[in-house]
Amino acid sequence: MGIAEYFASLNFMTLLKVVPGNVAQGLVWGILALGVFITYKILDFADLTVDGSFATGGAVTVMLILAGVPAPLALLAAVLAGCLAGLVTGLLHTALGIPGILASILTQIALFSVNLNIMGKANQAVSVDKYALVLSSRSNSTAILIGLVFVAVIIGLLYWYFGTEQGCAIRATGCTPSMAKAQGINISSMKLLALSLSNGLVALSGGLTAQYQGFSDINMGRGAIVIGLAAVIIGDVLHSAIMRKKQNFGVRLAFVVLGSIIYYLVIGIVLWLKMPTNDMKLFTAIIVAIFLAVPYLKERSRSSFARAAKNGGGHNA
Amino acid sequence: MKKLICLILALTMLAALCACAGKTESSPSVQSAGSAAAGSSSAAASASAASGSSSAAASASGASSTVYHIGICQLVQHVALDAATKGFKEALTKLLGADNVVFDEQNAQGDSATCATICNQFVADNDDLILANATPALQAAASATGTIPIIGTSITDYATALNLDNYNGTTGLNISGTSDLAPLKDQAAMLEELFPDAKTVGILFCSAEPNSYYQASVIEGILGGDGITCKEYTFTDSNDVASVTTTACAESDVLYIPTDNTAASNTEVIKNIAVPAKKAIICGEEGICSGCGVATLSINYYDIGYTAGEMAYDVLTKGADIAAMPIEFAPKVTKEYNADICQTLGITVPSDYTAIAAN
Repeated sequence: MGIAEYFASLNFMTLLKVVPGNVAQGLVWGILALGVFITYKILDFADLTVDGSFATGGAVTVMLILAGVPAPLALLAAVLAGCLAGLVTGLLHTALGIPGILASILTQIALFSVNLNIMGKANQAVSVDKYALVLSSRSNSTAILIGLVFVAVIIGLLYWYFGTEQGCAIRATGCTPSMAKAQGINISSMKLLALSLSNGLVALSGGLTAQYQGFSDINMGRGAIVIGLAAVIIGDVLHSAIMRKKQNFGVRLAFVVLGSIIYYLVIGIVLWLKMPTNDMKLFTAIIVAIFLAVPYLKERSRSSFARAAKNGGGHNA
Repeated sequence: MKKLICLILALTMLAALCACAGKTESSPSVQSAGSAAAGSSSAAASASAASGSSSAAASASGASSTVYHIGICQLVQHVALDAATKGFKEALTKLLGADNVVFDEQNAQGDSATCATICNQFVADNDDLILANATPALQAAASATGTIPIIGTSITDYATALNLDNYNGTTGLNISGTSDLAPLKDQAAMLEELFPDAKTVGILFCSAEPNSYYQASVIEGILGGDGITCKEYTFTDSNDVASVTTTACAESDVLYIPTDNTAASNTEVIKNIAVPAKKAIICGEEGICSGCGVATLSINYYDIGYTAGEMAYDVLTKGADIAAMPIEFAPKVTKEYNADICQTLGITVPSDYTAIAAN
């Protein structure tokens, strides 16, 4: 196919029409990103439980909806299940002294079996035609609205919580654990709290995703942590680039969700460009790498060494 | 602070824009169902049923020169799934003519969430028909549209995949297609014919694959009815295939492996354990049998893809009502055996079996 023909086959209107779907998915996954933000950025804990607890959220939600429980209640149960998963990781780490990343991997693989047992088999469908779902890919405008409400409420709650004494204690634990301990903060309980909270949000995102796509699958959480981290990093980079010195915690959270939306928009654009989908993971990796590298390179070019080099090395000699 | 307000305003406008665009994209019936209430399921169901037939009628009135846009969503690269997609495309290209059909072929790389992204794209494109290849692809497509006709392929059981009640061969939705369900009853008969002395049969499959579960439970029912004890041995991924197979070989007379993607990728490992243990394996499909099995009664994925293509042709040009179109099965099955392994194990198969060609 010639280049002209390739460009002729791209329809810009189609791209515009695809945007709502990507925004809806981005909002739902943004809740997962907020969960990842709590562990990765605030607690400074690489939590891989996410891949398991995301699927747990989907499994619990779908099974309860199939059992006749109203969807919002099912989501609530999913959040509790996710909190429990986070608690297990936390206990493995704090009570049994297992290094954080290993503790979370242990929980993640254990959750594979747990999720299978919850669903009874590897895949369960939940049809929008038969059940009153909170949102569905059938109507993206509704999904966006619902997603916005969820995200707004969660950001509000997190903003408030991390301003309370307990929330500040969690932040302190993440910054300098030894200093926090010296201040009389029980850092073990703070880690438990943050991990539970984070995985509760992840499970909520899993529950919403399962409803959005109409099924839950044992493999649906595979790679969720990567998407979450990508969203957190894209959001953070944009936040510091746009807000510069006027940074605010609530806005920072909003940018994390924005990062997730951008992630899905990029996937939409890659698909729209009719790029070979076999290379999609590669494109994703490149995009995240760019977002990671740009601030670093910018910083380096501004450093005094770089400036000195630009002004001519012989000047000081 | 001003910057912040600007940004929030800009975001709100963007969101509003998206919401509007979201409404215009879908056909009127879907939109009304969606905006009436997030969850008015009965309304959505009736709307989709009504519009399903009307869209079929609309496409039927099109002249023969219309170009049909077909979205293809395949779950993952895989020999069998690739063959089904190939069969589908060849059938439609032949029936419609190469100039009258455009395929938008997308692969979700095994990521079930990407299936939703891809299907959203097809709905936004307003494609004439969607081919969903494998279960999560079908579920994502079914969730994304209640109007665009969806043809599935490589789906073992539509009732399970779509959570249908009172399933009697048609879905009653905007969905039909072909099933890759192996002739399980005949496979069980084959096992009993080749190994009349078998008392315990170990069923080996991947616990992450719903279709394997389904086949295992059906086979267990049939063999159990004939007084044979069945036991399931499940592995979670490629890493524990070896140890699970070792246990299965130690505890069973004969092994059975259903149509299972993970097993298909690990036939070499399974063979290297089962052959030294002198355990014969009956397989659900040809690919696994050629790797590690003794005999199989196999379907051809190209065939079910081709049949799906013919069904799509009927929906697109003849105005066939997809909701009333029965799910179709593989047109023919063949008794096959793996000559190498049969020789090693000293098994002679009846003369109506054909050897699987070495590749």
